[in-house]
Amino acid sequence: MTELAQGKDFLKMSRQQEGPRETYSWIGKSMKRVEDPRLLTGQGRYIDDIQLPNMAHAAVLRSPHAHARIKSIDTAKAKALPGVILVMTGAEAAQVTGPTATFSSPPCIQYCLAVDKVRNVGEGVVAVVAESRYLAEDAIDLIDVDYEVLPAVVDPVEAITSSGDAVLHPERGDTNVALTNHSVFGPIEEDFQNADHIIRRKLRWSRVGGTPMETVGAIADYDSGTGKFTIYCNTSMYNYVGWLIAVSLNIPAHKLNIIPTIAGGSFGSKLFIHKLPTLTGTLSRACGRPVKFMEDRLDNLTNCDHHACDRIYDAELAVKDGRMTGLRFKVIDDYGAYFQFGVGHHGNAMSQAVGPYKISSIEMDLIAVLTNKCQQGAYRGFGSEVMNFLLERMADAAIDELGDDPVEFRRRNFIPPEEFPYVIPTGNLYDSGDYAAVLDEAARLLDYQGWRKKQAAAREEGRYVGIGIATCHERSVFSATEFWFLNPKDQPGFTLTSSPEGVAVKIDPTGKALVTLQAPFWGNSPETIATQVLAEQLTMDPADISINYSDTDSGLNGTGPGGSRYTVMIAGALAGASAKIKEKLLKVGGHMLEASPSDLELVDGRVCLKDVPEHGKTIAEVALHAHYFRLSMPDDPELTSGVDATYVYDHPLTTMPNEDRTDLGVFYPIMGHMCHMVVVEVDPETGKLAFLDYVAVHDCGTMVNPMTLQGHIRGGTASGIGTALYEHFFYDENGQLLNASFADYLIPGLHEVPDDLRTGHVETPSPFTEYGIKGGGEGGRMGAPPAIAGAVEDALRPLGVKVDELPISSKRLRALIREAQNS
Amino acid sequence: MATASSNGRIPIALKVNGVAYEREVEPRKLLSDFLREDLALTGTHVGCEHGVCGTCNVLLNGETARSCLIFAVQCDGAELRTIESLGTIDKMHPLQEAFWEKHGLQCGFCTPGMLLSAVELLEKNADPSREEIREAISSNFCRCTGYQNIVEAVEFAAKRMQEASQ
Amino acid sequence: MKPPPFRYEKPTSVEGLLATLAEQGDGAKILAGGQSLVPMMNLRLVYPEVLLDINGLSELDYLRLEDGMLRIGALTRHNTLRDSDLLAERCPLAAAAYRHVAHATIRNRGTLGGNLSHADPASEMPAVMLCLEASLVLRSNAGERSVAASDFFQGALTTALQSHELLTEIRIPLAAAGTGWSFQEVSPRKGDFALAAVAATLQVSNGLCQRVRIAHAGVEDRAARAGSAEAGIEGHAPGEELFAAAADEAARAVDPTESYHADGDHKRDLLRALIKRALSEAHGRCGA
Repeated sequence: MTELAQGKDFLKMSRQQEGPRETYSWIGKSMKRVEDPRLLTGQGRYIDDIQLPNMAHAAVLRSPHAHARIKSIDTAKAKALPGVILVMTGAEAAQVTGPTATFSSPPCIQYCLAVDKVRNVGEGVVAVVAESRYLAEDAIDLIDVDYEVLPAVVDPVEAITSSGDAVLHPERGDTNVALTNHSVFGPIEEDFQNADHIIRRKLRWSRVGGTPMETVGAIADYDSGTGKFTIYCNTSMYNYVGWLIAVSLNIPAHKLNIIPTIAGGSFGSKLFIHKLPTLTGTLSRACGRPVKFMEDRLDNLTNCDHHACDRIYDAELAVKDGRMTGLRFKVIDDYGAYFQFGVGHHGNAMSQAVGPYKISSIEMDLIAVLTNKCQQGAYRGFGSEVMNFLLERMADAAIDELGDDPVEFRRRNFIPPEEFPYVIPTGNLYDSGDYAAVLDEAARLLDYQGWRKKQAAAREEGRYVGIGIATCHERSVFSATEFWFLNPKDQPGFTLTSSPEGVAVKIDPTGKALVTLQAPFWGNSPETIATQVLAEQLTMDPADISINYSDTDSGLNGTGPGGSRYTVMIAGALAGASAKIKEKLLKVGGHMLEASPSDLELVDGRVCLKDVPEHGKTIAEVALHAHYFRLSMPDDPELTSGVDATYVYDHPLTTMPNEDRTDLGVFYPIMGHMCHMVVVEVDPETGKLAFLDYVAVHDCGTMVNPMTLQGHIRGGTASGIGTALYEHFFYDENGQLLNASFADYLIPGLHEVPDDLRTGHVETPSPFTEYGIKGGGEGGRMGAPPAIAGAVEDALRPLGVKVDELPISSKRLRALIREAQNS
Repeated sequence: MATASSNGRIPIALKVNGVAYEREVEPRKLLSDFLREDLALTGTHVGCEHGVCGTCNVLLNGETARSCLIFAVQCDGAELRTIESLGTIDKMHPLQEAFWEKHGLQCGFCTPGMLLSAVELLEKNADPSREEIREAISSNFCRCTGYQNIVEAVEFAAKRMQEASQ
Repeated sequence: MKPPPFRYEKPTSVEGLLATLAEQGDGAKILAGGQSLVPMMNLRLVYPEVLLDINGLSELDYLRLEDGMLRIGALTRHNTLRDSDLLAERCPLAAAAYRHVAHATIRNRGTLGGNLSHADPASEMPAVMLCLEASLVLRSNAGERSVAASDFFQGALTTALQSHELLTEIRIPLAAAGTGWSFQEVSPRKGDFALAAVAATLQVSNGLCQRVRIAHAGVEDRAARAGSAEAGIEGHAPGEELFAAAADEAARAVDPTESYHADGDHKRDLLRALIKRALSEAHGRCGA
């Protein structure tokens, strides 16, 4: 009851200006994307499409060893190769450029090229700049490095007890344990004491990555006359933390201008790319020419700092009277060779640690380890997708052991709609939800009962057909506290609390709008979303709106896409900027119409009298007046020429964690939800599986563009299928990445995903965001793995096979079946 | 037999998007790099450089080819078409229209290669089945869309093109 | 990932090519479709001194029925064969196998001769050639020799081809009327190389299995025949139990290579399942 009261109290903190409406002009419409024409005609201008005059090309020598000391490097032959401009070792680079940015505390030092020691296969050792990439790679072939091989730490469990030469970062102590955290939220002991069933499961979530079709690249142009760096890059958070690259380059932040390019996909992997801009900046300064470095696919797969969660869970779930009450787990997370985001991924997962369920207590025992692998970055879910897998696997295990019904068990455990806003044990708030409505819609779309009958008939024929269900969350609109609140309390690091999104809007003298975004396109639809929201706000024709991106010189605060935040945040920023624009238009219009602004309104692109709509001026007429006829208006110091506004929208609702971290505060309250229902058939002899049906119903609050949201659901589900069935960055016992190519790292092709993935929507608006929008960029990937795992287990129920480890490759599945058949 | 000049470069003459070019190329220059760097046709993207992803697909004498697996020198006398040969922003090819209409792209990076695979299919088979469409574009990886909208876009374009030709 | 430098030559006749090959020796590589060679060059796994581009040798691009056999020029593209009515009609096993080979764009360029010469152990066509008892014509300056497929594949990426020789033609004897056939494959994704693939043919006369041929790819370091399994069926009355026993025998007899994608146990399991299915399907297709 106290929880309920607390939750409702948060409503008073809502900064929502625009509530959900019955009808909209542009929001909610499946408007064709404004980004597309240039992309469809090959005019996208990605990073590799940019050529600067006199530009040289870099290539990087990669470490063949997982862990080794660099004893000596002979670059003489490389330097002598005609066409080679510069050969720079890691040690040479470190003389002029400091470590790259890290959010871990204590820091884990990483340079843009390895200094003294390499810590993963693929880590950069020497950079070559030459007249062409071909020549640079020729020079790479001519470099001799003498390594002293050190023990390779590959197994995350063994990493816990590493010492001596096996320690990756001795400066952090004689251990490969990067961080531990023990957290208890709610009455965990009581819940376990009172339980009538305790469900135990060990789970393994394997290492995968976003692997967008475009790799990361940067072009740096150092101007020795002004000391200024201009760096083009397909990074994302340049207006948030891009200045940290200047810190690495040992220059003041204003001596670095980062110009963003659109990104050919990211899925988190380009969230904050700092190594490449730092490296190219270093090279450009050293050779006095613009330098481009594009990762090739090997660079990208082995060393892009983008591998994702790699976790081992040992979990227990308390159940009483068919209701889940407490969840406790030990988790070991293999972070790889460095620790750029600390354990932000686990902080993130604490936002929805109980999923949609009324679980009253959580206990986490986290050990983050360092191993000789590519370090973790961000990937679609940022740790919460693994939490979903844990929760849904535990729920399925409980259903299995209790002999319960998978739909009714979930429904019984849901937080009911009347209890929102709802505070979960970790302290985070769920803004709104109607989980049963989502479940019912999925069951209807799938024809769940019909499939159960078909499943029974198939089983009669000896076929292995299974139905999997996942009802899980997609927290959206990240805030910054998740990055540090699990850090040691006496050493929390840089405890930032802002995650804003800015926008600049200008109405030109002809009445057209120019919107400047502070974060790049990375495959989402920022231009379309901004166009729809601004058109709604200013009652304009979307064709009269164009979108631009700021660089850091001109940029406002902007955190960019990530954590399914951008649509909500840009809508908030645009609502703020539009309020200022509207005020100006009404003020100027008032002078033109000789009326008080309070008697005017903006309707269909015109400023007009509320009572006499035919008496008015178009936005173009008002804008022309505002730009060029200052003296026709009174001498009001507030009334400056032109029509423009900037607005920086801060996170709609966050609070601080408490001192002892028993309450993490509100940090991810905009809570989306989904139900995935999938039907598979397993071929028991080969371990291959086929999708017979797939339904995904999502609740992302008010939808801005149902078409692009459906695109995210379908595409996200495809990447979730990759995680569930195909993908795995696999390192052997020597730390060699055995599948570092697109032939062997299996991103799903067309035939690996369902031909018809049917989607549905439920709209439960948020009381905290403009129009009630919630995020929706990650959801598909956050729901597919548990749904598929459940379906496989259901299909093989006659054999008693349990799916505890991903990916469920034909090899793994066949091994499980073989084991079951032999026992 | 092709003969190299003193700098090891070999003269080639080819047509790209209907325009005749004469260039000298180093034998090892990949067609993808030749198009992007020597001819400034940057619509052809490079995804993996080992022939798996299809991002760099171009039409070589009417058939798709991975431009990262062909040396420019091999294209002496060839006719090439790249994404730049399809429609323009003001006058899109029906496939481009359909991709736009059906949301067949997100980040757009695989899109040129994907479109050219679809062009090849529809030029050979104006009325493909859904399965034929799936087979034709399964040459190309897309990490954004989950493919379904792309299949539907090609279906939609084929229908429109057939209607237009009747 | 840019290829190392090389010298490029484009011979205008097979004779010219063979002369150059004889001169160059090991440093020369034949460039046909390039779908396997060029990735290896981009990854700098191979550093050929000279590439001999045979794409101009159109005399090596043909498929015809002659002397009771299918004769296929080594430069014939996979898609030409895949789409060929003649192949579908006279050699349906190869046509069926082509449903599993790579993707459209790769098949546009890739050639049968290049594929066989490259001899990837997980590629489909070597198994098909073994099953069909094809012979391969190898030419050099010194003349021409015909090598049985069973003698051609000698290991991973290793064949009977000598550095001065070119594979010019593949000869597939026509199957006797009534021969049943099947091709089965499991690959990680559609179009990937096989984790295991099986090609099988058999005839039934007087109620007994005759001329049983089973070949597999992906399982060992080269495509190979499952000789002991064939022998277990030959002369016996067809039936699911017999086929299952043969599949077990084949799975027992192989010496699987292991990779991240499939360990030995998995390959044995796949081989067992696929041989059983292949024999069953081939039997179902046997004519009277």
